[in-house]
Amino acid sequence: MEREPAPGVKRGRFAPYGLLAPGVLWLALFFLVPLATLLRMSLSSKANRFDFEPDFTWEWSNYSDAITEFGEQFRRSFAYAGIATVLCILIGYPLAYVIAFRGGRYRNLLLGLVVVPFFTSYLIRTFAWRTLLADEGPVVSLLQDVGVLADGGRLLATSWAVIGGLTYNFLPFMVLPIYVALEKIDVRLVDAARDLYSNGWRAFRKVVLPLSLPGVFAGSLLTFIPASGDFVNAQFLGGPNHTMIGNVVQNQFLVQLDYPTAAALGFILMTIITVAVLVYARILGTEELV
Amino acid sequence: MSNRRRPRLAPPHLSRRQFLGRAGALAGAVAIGPSILAACGRRRRRRRRRWGGGGDTIVISNWIEYIDEDKALIAASEEAIGAKVDYKEDVNDNNEYFATVLQPNLGQGRSPNRDGFIVTDWMAARVIGLQWVQELVREAAPNLANLRAALADPSWDPGRRYSVPWQTGMTGIAYNRSVTGRDLTSTQDLLDPAFSGRVTFLTEMRDTVGLFMLLDGKDPTNPTFEDAQGAFDTIEEAKNSGQLRGFTGNEYVNDLSTGNLAACIAWSGDVAQLTKDDPNIRFVIPAEGGMLWSDNFLIPETSEKAELATRWIDFFYDPVNAAQLTMAIQYISPVDGVADELRKLGPDGVALAENPLVVPTDESLAQVRIFGSLDEEEEQRFDERFAAITGA
Repeated sequence: MEREPAPGVKRGRFAPYGLLAPGVLWLALFFLVPLATLLRMSLSSKANRFDFEPDFTWEWSNYSDAITEFGEQFRRSFAYAGIATVLCILIGYPLAYVIAFRGGRYRNLLLGLVVVPFFTSYLIRTFAWRTLLADEGPVVSLLQDVGVLADGGRLLATSWAVIGGLTYNFLPFMVLPIYVALEKIDVRLVDAARDLYSNGWRAFRKVVLPLSLPGVFAGSLLTFIPASGDFVNAQFLGGPNHTMIGNVVQNQFLVQLDYPTAAALGFILMTIITVAVLVYARILGTEELV
Repeated sequence: MSNRRRPRLAPPHLSRRQFLGRAGALAGAVAIGPSILAACGRRRRRRRRRWGGGGDTIVISNWIEYIDEDKALIAASEEAIGAKVDYKEDVNDNNEYFATVLQPNLGQGRSPNRDGFIVTDWMAARVIGLQWVQELVREAAPNLANLRAALADPSWDPGRRYSVPWQTGMTGIAYNRSVTGRDLTSTQDLLDPAFSGRVTFLTEMRDTVGLFMLLDGKDPTNPTFEDAQGAFDTIEEAKNSGQLRGFTGNEYVNDLSTGNLAACIAWSGDVAQLTKDDPNIRFVIPAEGGMLWSDNFLIPETSEKAELATRWIDFFYDPVNAAQLTMAIQYISPVDGVADELRKLGPDGVALAENPLVVPTDESLAQVRIFGSLDEEEEQRFDERFAAITGA
């Protein structure tokens, strides 16, 4: 069925470009240009240690050196970010589910509670964890009392503290997209499944879960990507054996003054994340879902 | 020295100042990105622009909490030199200050908008070597003659033409006796398996490596990369075995008083104050020896107010003012005659004058060494090996 375009639509043929322009300009200026200079830097070599403007020499060895030297930190970053993402799904999905389907009139309040901690800065929240997990702190003594943690055991400066910090800090980024996806689901679909002799679990698996996958996908991206580049949690909650790639980049930039290596590390990180996201999208079949 | 500042009655959590320091470091990390990007785009013509400032104001960069708390000394110094002092507490770490303030400006012949800044010996040596600083205006500064003789002639600045110390301090080991249950005497004690996971070393390479070179029987006053291998290996082993909880700046102060740490490598001034509040927290210079360092005042090559800046530092070389500063921050003053002035300041002053960590005795000075200077290539090898161990 053809519909007459509303008057004035023709005239606005260039309107889409006009609307796109600010965003495109912004991205070009603050994303593409820096990206290009970063790429150039990653292929440069320094004449001496304090050379502020390294020469562009197609120095591909920056990349191979960075991978050989910091492979361990790369592996660790993705492992920590991956575990934190899975934990966020395990904690965040049921939470979002309850808020969406059982929240009733408390829905907005509950959602508010998820977001409230984020009125405090990221750094302060991470530091609060230092106090909570301190050797003489409440969490450690409780765990020791119930025998989970050996006497003299500790949480701070362990992998688990870093993963815990990441999970905590990125949880709302998982909860909110999942909530939005769940909230959109027409409950009558679930009723229909039940009418067709599906039990509760099957109705969830066949109806609710597939319909909420776009939320899980979005939440995973919002969690995994920043978590793999994070350095705050490893810095403050981890020990010297738990540094992530973000710490390496920071150190290369600010202490070693090795800008080419730092730039190469940044590019490697971006590439791996992009590939990982594409693979993930493929597995989840998100092209159809979104 | 990373994050060095005056200790306080440490709460178990992060204080506001510490937080601000960290946030500053983060902001610095964020801020430096674009400038690096901008810089690498194209080689800019070097341009020399001298910084004028407005009226008679000088801008000074110093470490956090390295002056009396209400800054009465700054007000007094303004009076003395007849100019305003814009006193910035924006040095949080030598490397960071170099990377965010000095190199991006002085490295390109631009002014960092400072008339004076204070960094540790090795960094002072570096900026003097790079010719980014100018000579002090000695004739305007009679009090500088009060500099302690032992500090008057460092190898990297013979005759102190470019630099004078702001304060000095010692690096040794600090421990919480209620956690260790015994007194520690040697750097070797930091490797005791009983303290596994409750020991930290300093991110400041010269302090940590210096102590372990001494333990290894090597001479840090004349360091070579070969001589340092034993020290590096020991540090690496401590890290890999889980003995080490981390490499720190001054945040060890909190962990030490809350009992998270049994022992750590520490700076004397930090611990002097802690000990006063909790006698279980102690500082010792290890039997094999400790390290001695200074933080030095320098004037950027671009400043047009070298004379005012020199007169400003001269104010703090009057023993009366120097004693006030020592009362406030409890580091070792580089000024002769401070002990006598301290004794005039009541019982607290007398106590400080008798404290070997604040007014070192001949014995305590005989136990400490100054880490020798490294040429650029050697320094890079040291830094790279150390960075590989600290894991970043």
